[in-house]
Amino acid sequence: MKQDYLWDRSGEPDPEIEGLENVLGRFRHGAAAPEFPLVTPRPKLRFTRSRRFWQLAAMAATVALVFVLWTVLRRPQPGIAPLKGWDVARLAGTPRVGITLLGGAEQAGKLAVGQTLQTDGQSRASVSVDDVGEVQVEPNTRLRLLESAPSRKRLALDRGTIRASIWAPAGEFTVDTPSALAVDMGCAYTLHVDDSGAGLLRTTLGWVGFRLNGHESFIPAGAACATRPGIGPGTPYFEDAPEALRAALTALDFGPAGERSAELNLILKQARTRDALTLWHLLPRVEGSDRARVYDRLAALVPPPSQVSKDGVLRLDQTMLDLWWDKLGLGDISLWRHWERSWSQHQNGDNNRP
Amino acid sequence: MVHGILLARVPLVEVDDLVQDVFLRAFTRIRSLRDEASFGGWLASITRNRANDYHRSPREVPEALETDVEDARADSSQIEAEAILALIRSLPEAYRETLILRLVEGMTGPEIAARTGLTPGSVRVNLHRGMQQLRKKLGDREALRPQVDQQETG
Repeated sequence: MKQDYLWDRSGEPDPEIEGLENVLGRFRHGAAAPEFPLVTPRPKLRFTRSRRFWQLAAMAATVALVFVLWTVLRRPQPGIAPLKGWDVARLAGTPRVGITLLGGAEQAGKLAVGQTLQTDGQSRASVSVDDVGEVQVEPNTRLRLLESAPSRKRLALDRGTIRASIWAPAGEFTVDTPSALAVDMGCAYTLHVDDSGAGLLRTTLGWVGFRLNGHESFIPAGAACATRPGIGPGTPYFEDAPEALRAALTALDFGPAGERSAELNLILKQARTRDALTLWHLLPRVEGSDRARVYDRLAALVPPPSQVSKDGVLRLDQTMLDLWWDKLGLGDISLWRHWERSWSQHQNGDNNRP
Repeated sequence: MVHGILLARVPLVEVDDLVQDVFLRAFTRIRSLRDEASFGGWLASITRNRANDYHRSPREVPEALETDVEDARADSSQIEAEAILALIRSLPEAYRETLILRLVEGMTGPEIAARTGLTPGSVRVNLHRGMQQLRKKLGDREALRPQVDQQETG
C-alpha cells in the first residue's frame, strides 16, 4: 500500500501536516480519565428458547407496556428525578457546576462524580459532603468530585482555596492536589493550591495527613505544611514557630541540597518544645549524623518512651517512631496506619480492575 | 476521542467540563450498551448528542473564564493555533471531527476508525477531503495577509 503520512504517519512526513500537528497539539487532552466504580457487565442472553416461548414473552411484554403506559398517563407527572450528587449552594457571585451557572433562579445545584465546581474572582460556594461535612469553596477555585461512596469521599482541588469542616470517621474524606493527597483525620482545615500546583494546608481543628508516594506529614491544629509538585509535602510546623525556623525549614524542604546542614543547625537551635512536631518529621528526612543530631535535640525536648532506642530511631524503626509520635500528644497514629492499609487495599483493587 | 469530538463542536473553554459530563452520562447509561465491540461508536454518539444539547440550552460565560481566554491570547503562537482551529471548525462536520482527531489528538486514521465506529474508508476520505479544504482556507488566509498588513501600515 502507498505510504500516506496523513492517514497513518507512514512514509516521509508531510511538513505542512507536521507543522499543523505541532501548532494544534497544545489543545490535546492531557488529563487523566475520570474514575468510576466498577460496573458489573450485563449477562448475555442466550437465545435457545422455543419460538412459542418468545411469542408468549412478546405478548406478556405488550401487556406490561400497556399497563405501564396506562399507569403513567393517568397519574400526575412526578417531574424530573433528582440528580445524585453533593448539594452545592451559591454563597456569592455565579459559581459553576459542570456547565450550569448558579445564580438568579438557580441558587443551588448538585455536584456529581466526575463533575467540576468552578468559581471566578467574585464567586463562592458551599458543598455539603454527603452529610458528613461541609466544604466552602473560595474565589478562583476549581474543584472536582472524584468519588462518593459510603466510606470514601474524594475531591480533587486543581487550584484555589477550600475550607473543609469534616465530621466523618478518620480517613474517609480525602482531597487530591497536584502535589499531595490531604487525608482528613477528623478536623477542620484550609487547603490552598496555586497555579503551579504548589499547596499549603493549615489545620484549625483535629489533624490532617498529607501524603505523596510514601512521603507523609501530619498537621495538627495550629500547624501548617507546604507541598510542591514533584517533591510532595514538606515538614509541618506550628504557625507560631520563630520566623527564622520557618524560613530555614522552607529552604531545607525545597531549596538546594548543598545548604541543608546549615539550615538544620538553625532549626535545631531555634526549636521550642512545641516544635517537637517539626523535629519528629525531620528524622526520616535527614541522614547520617544529621539524623543523630535531630534525635538528640528531640530527645532533649520530649524524652522518648522507654521502648524507643536511639539505634532504633536512627534505623527509622516504624514502631518506635510511632510510639514517640503518640507521646507528642498531637494525634493517634494508629488511625493513620489503619487508613494507610485500607487505602492501599483500595488502590490495589482499582489496579486489578479489568 | 471524546475531547476531540467536543473540540470540533463547542467553545474551547467549555470542552473540559463537557468531557467530564459525557463520561458521567456514559457511566449512568453503560447498561444500555448491548455490544461491547461497539463501545467506541456508542461513546462517540453520546458525545455528539451532548454537544448538540449544549447548543440547544441558553447560557452565559462566566467573566473570569473570558478573562482567562484573553490572557491566553496574549501569546502569539496561541493566536495562530486558535485561528487554525477556527478554520478547521468552519469545515463540514465530518471533516472537522476527523481532522481534529488526527491533527489535535494525534490519532492515526486506523485508530479514528476503530474508536469512532466509522469505516476506515470513510475516515480516509474525510481526512483527505478535509485536509484539501483546510489547505485552501489556509492559502486564502495567507493571500489576504499582505493586503491586511498594507491597510494597517498605510
